[in-house]
Amino acid sequence: DNPELGLGLDEEVKVTKKRQPIAKLDEGRLLSQNGIPRLRRTAKSKLKLKGKGHEFSDAARILNFYQLWLDDLFPRAKFADGLAMIEKLGHSKRLQTMRREWIDEEKTNFSK
Amino acid sequence: DVVSFGQEVQVVDPEVRAHVYSLVTALGGFNGENADCYVLGDDALACLRDIKRWLKLYDEKINRMDVARCLGEANLVNGDLLPILSNWWTSGQNNKHMSRIALACLELLVPLTWPAEFHKDMTVNHHRHTPYIQQAQVRYKRGLLSYGGSNLLRTVIRIALPSMAVPRSERTTRDEGILKLMLYLFRNISIISQSARLAAEGDEEETSRSVTINAFAEQDVFALLLTMCSNVGDDFSQQDMALLEILFHLVKGVNVEKLFMDDVQRTAKRTDELKDLLSKESSLKREYAKNAPTRHGRFGTMIWVKRDDAKMSTVSGQDVLKDEQTTLLKMDQSKKWNKPQPRRRQEELSTNNSFDTPTHLSSTATKNLRSFVEEFLDSGFNPLFTHVRKAIEREAERVTDINSRQFFYTVSWFLEAERVRRTYQKYTHEQSKGKAKEMEPDSFALVAGVLNQETFVFLNRAMQYGLDHKDWEDINAEMRCFTQILLTVQEMSKSPLEEDQEIAENIQNRIFYEETTHDRVLALVRGYKDQGFGYLDACTELSHVFLRMLERYSKENIDLQIRSRRKARRKKTAEKNATTNGEEEDPEEQASEDEEIEDAVKVAKERTFDFKRFSAKFCTQKSVDTFFAFTKFYKELDSEQLKRAHRYFYRIAFKQEMSVLLFRVDIINLFYKMIKGPGGLDPSKPVFKEWEELVRQIIRRLVKKIEQRPALITELLFSKINATAFYLEYGHEKQTLTSE
Repeated sequence: DNPELGLGLDEEVKVTKKRQPIAKLDEGRLLSQNGIPRLRRTAKSKLKLKGKGHEFSDAARILNFYQLWLDDLFPRAKFADGLAMIEKLGHSKRLQTMRREWIDEEKTNFSK
Repeated sequence: DVVSFGQEVQVVDPEVRAHVYSLVTALGGFNGENADCYVLGDDALACLRDIKRWLKLYDEKINRMDVARCLGEANLVNGDLLPILSNWWTSGQNNKHMSRIALACLELLVPLTWPAEFHKDMTVNHHRHTPYIQQAQVRYKRGLLSYGGSNLLRTVIRIALPSMAVPRSERTTRDEGILKLMLYLFRNISIISQSARLAAEGDEEETSRSVTINAFAEQDVFALLLTMCSNVGDDFSQQDMALLEILFHLVKGVNVEKLFMDDVQRTAKRTDELKDLLSKESSLKREYAKNAPTRHGRFGTMIWVKRDDAKMSTVSGQDVLKDEQTTLLKMDQSKKWNKPQPRRRQEELSTNNSFDTPTHLSSTATKNLRSFVEEFLDSGFNPLFTHVRKAIEREAERVTDINSRQFFYTVSWFLEAERVRRTYQKYTHEQSKGKAKEMEPDSFALVAGVLNQETFVFLNRAMQYGLDHKDWEDINAEMRCFTQILLTVQEMSKSPLEEDQEIAENIQNRIFYEETTHDRVLALVRGYKDQGFGYLDACTELSHVFLRMLERYSKENIDLQIRSRRKARRKKTAEKNATTNGEEEDPEEQASEDEEIEDAVKVAKERTFDFKRFSAKFCTQKSVDTFFAFTKFYKELDSEQLKRAHRYFYRIAFKQEMSVLLFRVDIINLFYKMIKGPGGLDPSKPVFKEWEELVRQIIRRLVKKIEQRPALITELLFSKINATAFYLEYGHEKQTLTSE
């Protein structure tokens, strides 16, 4: 019967809806199956380059390949923006070690 | 306080306003009977002195701008001071009382025209009054330059002439003060310009740089400046900074090349520019027409882009039917989200010192300024700049912070002017071949005042200081100065005079002898972050010029020695160091050395210079990023700047064999866009061909490399780490044990 018991039962409970977290292009996303692993997987089959005499069409093919990959990975960002974000991520410790690993993998493949 | 609309806002204390207005009224006015004649009030001199006192004891002392504002509203300058001065001029200037009044007018004109700038510690009052005062100053300037056809500038000189005639040893402080007043008035006139933030009143042409220059030429201000500059060591030692400031504000932003063209060349250049602009416009139109819809806007085309895993994307519009590139471009363009940009650095507050904005001059003004510049180079350059340098170095009382920046910029401008003048002279000589006598080779003695060891030491110290304190504007001016010195020396070494060649050899040796200079140039290029285009332009030009000259010089002098200063650890490691010092240090050791900077001493040591190794230092990710940032402006760059970027990338890819540094998707994207568009380089330009070839070669290498090393597919996304870059380029590990 004492309303000032301090339990706060009478106070209205405010419900604040949490905002949907915005998708981010971060290390996790970049290293997920859709990220760089997929790039490595598909490069062989998707990226057919013609070589000498077709320099500019080859460049277009390379750029398109990356653009479509990036659009799948992180549809929100424009191509140039996405590239800048990924480049920045490349400076992190985790990615540096991963990059080194990928290269080492190739080296051992070569020596086999 | 908030005042509701319609109510009068009192920006100035009414009592102050009443006092000031009554003084202005008592000064004099136009007589009713004789309406075009200004009549002085009975106590005019006392009134003028009172006004001055108000400015000093109210405005200055309690840090307000109220009195200046009232005087602007009361139209003191154009309504009273200028008529009084012009009366004095026409009445023969002999009356002593009138002369004193004229001087009192000058004493008021200087503070009233003093540049009103936005600065850090402004009060509410300053914010309130500054825009009005800036606008009023433009009015003052217009009045001073064009008051009823009378020569007010000449009048001002006349006021100071008696003091000028006195030899320096006999001059009183009052005389020096009068000279200062005159010069500061001219400086103020050359500074004042229509503020870009305020609405123009439609006749800004009347206060433009061209008009100022023409007035200076017609009314002998230039003659006065020349006299003072050439005698700065003897008779006018206190005035050097004021003279420097006037010169700086006259020449900042003026294009030297255009200044020295004759009319035919200039019109040709203008037509070229016009042609360029027109062709740019038509190519824009062509570009649009290529992709413009061929049917009406509601024709409603939609296509699917088939993608992996049976996914589809849709893109609408007929233009996308054409080819894959436009489709993908459109897909990209239709995205709404933009990456948040890092906030720009705070804009430079002082507006009067920017020299990156180009200024255009009318043809009369060009002629006037050119003859002034030539005479100045012939007589005033050495005395003035030597004197100014000494004054700045010993931190004389009259020197302000801004002066050293002005010094370096002005020096660089005049050095360029001297070089361009020489080529122009050669050109005119060839034009009149047969008629004129054989041209005598000129020596570079005219600009020798800034080509001595003292200047280099001063410049080096200033650059280091700027680098340490991140004064980017200062550094910008200093880099330009250094570049111009290098170019002048280069010209000198080609001179037919043996003496010049010898001196040039000496100077080059001195410049290239210190390894710290080399390291500083490197640090400047690598240090670009967001300093703006002016810095970018200056640092890329400096590195371009420096590298090329050093390359040639070290080829000619194979035994070039440089003094290098290495950090060496003290005590125990000292012995170890003695053995390893000669060898190349690997980067990790370098880094750990940097950490122990406290207990490090510097060891100076001479060793032979290896250009290959030095230029390799330029081929790092940081410098590539700087040049990449520069190239992003390719649409605005002129062919000389594009060539600079081209040479650099060429050096990276083919001279240093480090094309891996360029294998990054964003760089390839930019290169592709520059050549293939949309919005690429103009294919009719000669530079285009060079760039096309370069990009073709780089892409060819890229394709080859991708085949050789599939790991590049992922690495293409990132800046390379040093360790892996070497592997990617050469296919094997770097040999760690390299001996020199």
